[in-house]
Amino acid sequence: MIHVALMLMAAGQDVLVTTDWAYENLRNEKVRFVEVSVDPGVYEKGHLKGAVGFKWHSELCDPVSRDIVSPEKFQALCREAGISDDTTVVLYGDLNNWFACWGHWIFTMYGHRNVKLMNGGRKKWELEKRPLDLTAPKVPAGTFTAKVTHPELRARLNDVVKAVKNESPAALVDVRSPDEHNGKVFAPPGIQELSIRAGCIPGSKNIPWSKTVNEDGTFKSAEELKKLYADAGIDGKGTIITYCRIGERSSHSWFVLKMILGYDVRNYDGSWTEYGNAVGVPIENKAGTVWTGK
Amino acid sequence: MIRYGAAAAVAAVLIVSSLFLDNATAFFAACGAAFGALLQRSRLCFTAAFRDLFVLRDRRAAFGILAALAVGSVGYAAVYGLQLPGARYLPDTAHLSPAGPVVFLGGLAFGLGMVLAGGCISGNLYRLGEGSLVAPVALAGCIPGYWLAFSLWNWFYATSVSTAPVVWLPKHLGYTGAVALQLGVLGGLGALLFWKGAAAPQPAREPLDLKGALREPWPAWAGGAAIGMLATLAYLWGHPLGVTAEIGRLSRLAGAALGLVPARLEGLHRLPGCSAIGSDRRLTESGVFILSLVAGSLLSALLSGEFRIRVGKPRTYALAAAGGVLLGFGAMISLGCTVGTMLSGIMAFSLHGWIFTAALAGGAWLGTQALRRLA
Repeated sequence: MIHVALMLMAAGQDVLVTTDWAYENLRNEKVRFVEVSVDPGVYEKGHLKGAVGFKWHSELCDPVSRDIVSPEKFQALCREAGISDDTTVVLYGDLNNWFACWGHWIFTMYGHRNVKLMNGGRKKWELEKRPLDLTAPKVPAGTFTAKVTHPELRARLNDVVKAVKNESPAALVDVRSPDEHNGKVFAPPGIQELSIRAGCIPGSKNIPWSKTVNEDGTFKSAEELKKLYADAGIDGKGTIITYCRIGERSSHSWFVLKMILGYDVRNYDGSWTEYGNAVGVPIENKAGTVWTGK
Repeated sequence: MIRYGAAAAVAAVLIVSSLFLDNATAFFAACGAAFGALLQRSRLCFTAAFRDLFVLRDRRAAFGILAALAVGSVGYAAVYGLQLPGARYLPDTAHLSPAGPVVFLGGLAFGLGMVLAGGCISGNLYRLGEGSLVAPVALAGCIPGYWLAFSLWNWFYATSVSTAPVVWLPKHLGYTGAVALQLGVLGGLGALLFWKGAAAPQPAREPLDLKGALREPWPAWAGGAAIGMLATLAYLWGHPLGVTAEIGRLSRLAGAALGLVPARLEGLHRLPGCSAIGSDRRLTESGVFILSLVAGSLLSALLSGEFRIRVGKPRTYALAAAGGVLLGFGAMISLGCTVGTMLSGIMAFSLHGWIFTAALAGGAWLGTQALRRLA
């Protein structure tokens, strides 16, 4: 039932807005732009006029219990940002909207019904040389109430292990680069490995997130995306679980599969840094790279 | 005539190379060139600010630093007020680093080093543009200094840096309180200079027209005030003034290749400042900034007729090398030098900038005593 409702939601209203639409709606009081960028200082250097900035590391995550932000804290954050239940929330951010997609996932799970993503994010906005503003907005407090309305959008380690053992079938989609998937490297270039095993979750299909976007950071068309996944055997008939290293690139693919294609998808935010380090769970490691403590 | 031709060539290189850079990098190239030219024109030497004050009671350079800090503090506060209403969250890109004994030790080493070497890191960079042959020795000396500091860093981090607090004055005093306190302290120091310092000798001056401005040195306080504005602009672009990030980065890469630097330097990537974050990019904004700094100083020295190959006595080179090691060591553990930690730290209202500066004064005083013994 819930899946049907969400599918209808995805199909019935456009979850993507263009940079043109965003530019024209910067002064629209019913719209609240929220930037979720991961690089410190990006928001401060300049953002869409009137946009508030949410910090991913501290405001959308709980660094103490390695969890997503609690509903209480998220509600307070949203209210302070002037968000009510009837506000149109438009998310955007750096790095191809990775973390903005994480934001979308949290907003959707916590029951906000009118959340959109600016297609192309900061990348497209900057490519088009659109104006950036330095002032922090002053907004009256909102009244949004956060409740865990869609817990089924999140996969936990246990769900993934059950999928691997085929106790509760789900198609696993690894959105990392092929070198990470095949176990040649522990982590993407420039990042210290946070998992002591290289490789992937057994049986997972490697469909890198980068295949879902165009050069300007926008998503490919729904037809192209549908074909991309269908060619890898993901047709949306059953449950899908997306994962990457820390759950941010996988929320990008979660957005594609759930919000654009309307499939039944859960984002596994623990991702490889949890699964790859978990004791007693099997992995697949084609390259055979073994961690030697260096 | 040759020097005007050379100046035109330097300007052309700066402009043409900027055409190939993105907006932000080109902006930092311009900032670097302006910074180099301002240092050169106004003889705003951080070493002189302390050494000449202690030895000759010459207060001119010290006034320049105070002017830079006062103007930059107001500028930073203006930017903060726009971006961070209420001062509840710390600004992400400003140089706010832990205030503790390590930055004090770094300041002490740096202060001693700059007096021995006859200039700090930015001072040696602008003297390089004036044709000094001593400056490259001091700058090369920084590299083993960096290696020494890298090899001790993990111990420093575990024992002190990781637990030392980041103290951002506006968080405790509000913007008005922080600005009032900081301008009060700077004003107090200025008054002390008026009271204790010697009046500057009046140089024979050409009229203050274009020709005069090209030939005569500018007052240090004017150069300082302009640097305060430049610092504000650079911060607005998310990159506070700093000169040691690139030297640290290259030292780290070279040291790692030689096996002298630990593979993992704890906490460094999370600390703001000129923190020698390992990146294998060929060209960074910091790198462009210091190259342009040297070019800006060269351009300004050529136009004013002050460029000449300057050779030092053997003793000067030895002192420059030894001082350079202390400069590199101090800059690494303080996450910046007189620019990245003193200027950008104090302008950002960070206590660590003040601690560094107090230690810098102590180190510089030790340096003057050491030189007196050696003489």
